[in-house]
Amino acid sequence: MAAALASRLTKGRSLLGGLTNAFSGLVSSSSGSILSQQQQRTFIQMGTRLKVVDNSGAKEVMCIQSLRGKKGARLGDIVICSVKESATKVDVKKGKDAIQKGKVKKGSVVYGVVVRAAMQKGRVDGSQVRFDDNAVVILGIKEKKTDEKGKEKKQNYKGGFNQPLGTRVFGPVPHEMRLKKQLKILSLAQHLV
Amino acid sequence: MATSSHLLLPQALHMIPRIPSKNLGVSSLIPSVNSRISLSRVSLNHSSSNVGFAIGSRKRREFIAKAEESSTVGEDTEAVPEDVAETVEDNEVEEAKTPWKPRTKLGDVMGILNQKAIEVSEKVRPVPEIRTGDIVEIKLEVPENRRRLSIYKGIVMSRQNAGIHTTIRIRRIIAGIGVEIVFPLYSPNIKEIKVVSHRKVRRARLYYLRDKLPRLSTFK
Repeated sequence: MAAALASRLTKGRSLLGGLTNAFSGLVSSSSGSILSQQQQRTFIQMGTRLKVVDNSGAKEVMCIQSLRGKKGARLGDIVICSVKESATKVDVKKGKDAIQKGKVKKGSVVYGVVVRAAMQKGRVDGSQVRFDDNAVVILGIKEKKTDEKGKEKKQNYKGGFNQPLGTRVFGPVPHEMRLKKQLKILSLAQHLV
Repeated sequence: MATSSHLLLPQALHMIPRIPSKNLGVSSLIPSVNSRISLSRVSLNHSSSNVGFAIGSRKRREFIAKAEESSTVGEDTEAVPEDVAETVEDNEVEEAKTPWKPRTKLGDVMGILNQKAIEVSEKVRPVPEIRTGDIVEIKLEVPENRRRLSIYKGIVMSRQNAGIHTTIRIRRIIAGIGVEIVFPLYSPNIKEIKVVSHRKVRRARLYYLRDKLPRLSTFK
């Protein structure tokens, strides 16, 4: 509880889409007491638990490496994750919701693209978008071959991850996917933000 | 000391004609030159001090005290300040005759620019009165999705006033997940803003909605 309270840092209200002028400065300074109660959301880094929002078989993953950015991944970036929790046998096997049989098991290392992030992402028109949770769509499994590991990894990443492993995506998906060339995810999405 | 004073005065002479044409409100931009000029005027009245001393010196106001130091130098430069005095006085007289226009102060510039930008934006699309607690519907043109306008509905969580970059934060539960989007009110991409209804709130920022039940942020 104390840790949770301590984690509530002051959020810099200067994140007004990059346009900080005298007025925005005044605003941020005058509402200081309110600002200190806000939570500052940061990047997705090693150890971050993410929800899996496709039907690939995994339920929850933990990020072990961010493939972009020194500080961590943001909305739309690709991360390497380790599956912490996967769907059990009792779950849906037939129909549209069918989990791809035996695709992703607990403990396997996968590539995923962040489709929802609690950290706000600025857009070119000055707007910002943020979600209530961190979610990822699994793109591919990282092979564990010892010899070809270096080769395999390079091949995989060069081709670019465009195809998700599952066949369905749940929840809203932001427009950033178009910029990241994840068009299949966009087409599968229930709702575009 | 002698060389520095000789170097300074030509600079001062060069700067003097510019001063009357500029608004004195902008004088803060060139403090070094201005103070030296003002000092030169005062020094002419006293006629026993000189203008020249180190540019980097911060004690310009105390030049009168230092006049004794450079009294020897003052003899050389006194002839030149007299010429300077005449030109300065002439310019001053001219200034008093022309009507004094209201000066735009430095601090007001951003405010005026913002007002002008807002006026331009309001002509194209008037922005309704939006307050925290309003449930609004925004029609946005997304460059990637040029066929139809995207519609965003939700409750206004906060309004940040920042001139042209006044933003509102809309919250809504979409497909089971809470989404918050910050919209700049005067953006040309926004094609329509409509206030659908209003909810009574007793706060200016509704960040508590994040911890509450999703039911409170759902809007059909």
